[in-house]
Amino acid sequence: MSSQADRSYALRTKKMALSAILAALAMILSYVEAMVPMPVPIPGIKLGLANLVILLAIYRLGFKYALAINCIRIFVTGLLFTGVFGILYSLAGGLLSLLVMYLLYRTEIFSMVGASMAGGVAHNLGQLLTACLIMSNIRLMSYFAVLLFAGMGSGILMGIVAWLVCQRLPHLKI
Amino acid sequence: MIKKADIALFFLLLAAGLVVSFASLSADTGDKVLITVSGETYGTYDLSKDQTIHVSHDGHTNNITIKDGSVSMSYSDCANQVCVHTGAISQTKDSIVCLPNRVMVEIIDSKAGGDVDVISG
Ligand SMILES: [Zn+2]
Repeated sequence: MSSQADRSYALRTKKMALSAILAALAMILSYVEAMVPMPVPIPGIKLGLANLVILLAIYRLGFKYALAINCIRIFVTGLLFTGVFGILYSLAGGLLSLLVMYLLYRTEIFSMVGASMAGGVAHNLGQLLTACLIMSNIRLMSYFAVLLFAGMGSGILMGIVAWLVCQRLPHLKI
Repeated sequence: MIKKADIALFFLLLAAGLVVSFASLSADTGDKVLITVSGETYGTYDLSKDQTIHVSHDGHTNNITIKDGSVSMSYSDCANQVCVHTGAISQTKDSIVCLPNRVMVEIIDSKAGGDVDVISG
């Protein structure tokens, strides 16, 4: 076997292993988060601790891996703790947030903190829109402001943490 | 670490949030209680008249209690009980939502015609 093939195989294995670790971490964070109630009568709207992991995955592993980690997290935690309703909300918030963070990352004019802030807002907005659709009621949008500020706050916080992790663990780079 | 675009985005979101807050802060005291199930009006009740309304729908039960000018979800057979924990509401634009049972309780001002922005069906 050529040494080049060996190296690409080793890289793939490394990425897979890191993905598995991040997915496990995201699930733990989702679980911790489920125990902290938010002052909004919409289940599933949370701090977005798991967004921290997704942000790291986007920056260090790429979009495909981040998407896989996010989907695994949502389905496993959904089946374990929240049920089908929870999965629906998490999917809407999680995928919108992932997409927004990835797009901002690609523009290269935003830092991790900016991308995370936008991701936090997108996460809450996605869930609020899902709630409106399920309830067939647009009046739920009156929670928009609260959720926007909550998303900004938690997003900035998670962005700073993610940035610190990247500084402390430069060898995480692949 | 922080870039110019971050700061621009921060103020943009902040402005958007403030505009929406001011728009929704103009809450007044309403006089009617509107109960909707799956987006359709279930009934409208007087906020001044104390009573308990039993909502039965698709095998689910929710009890809504009107007392001393405020409304609360006194019972629900839903799994998460978020609606029951919401407590009592007494102002327009406040609402109690039971997402699993798709029941929503709102206070409306009958004179202001609060039904306009409700999507039906
Ligand atoms: Zn409920």
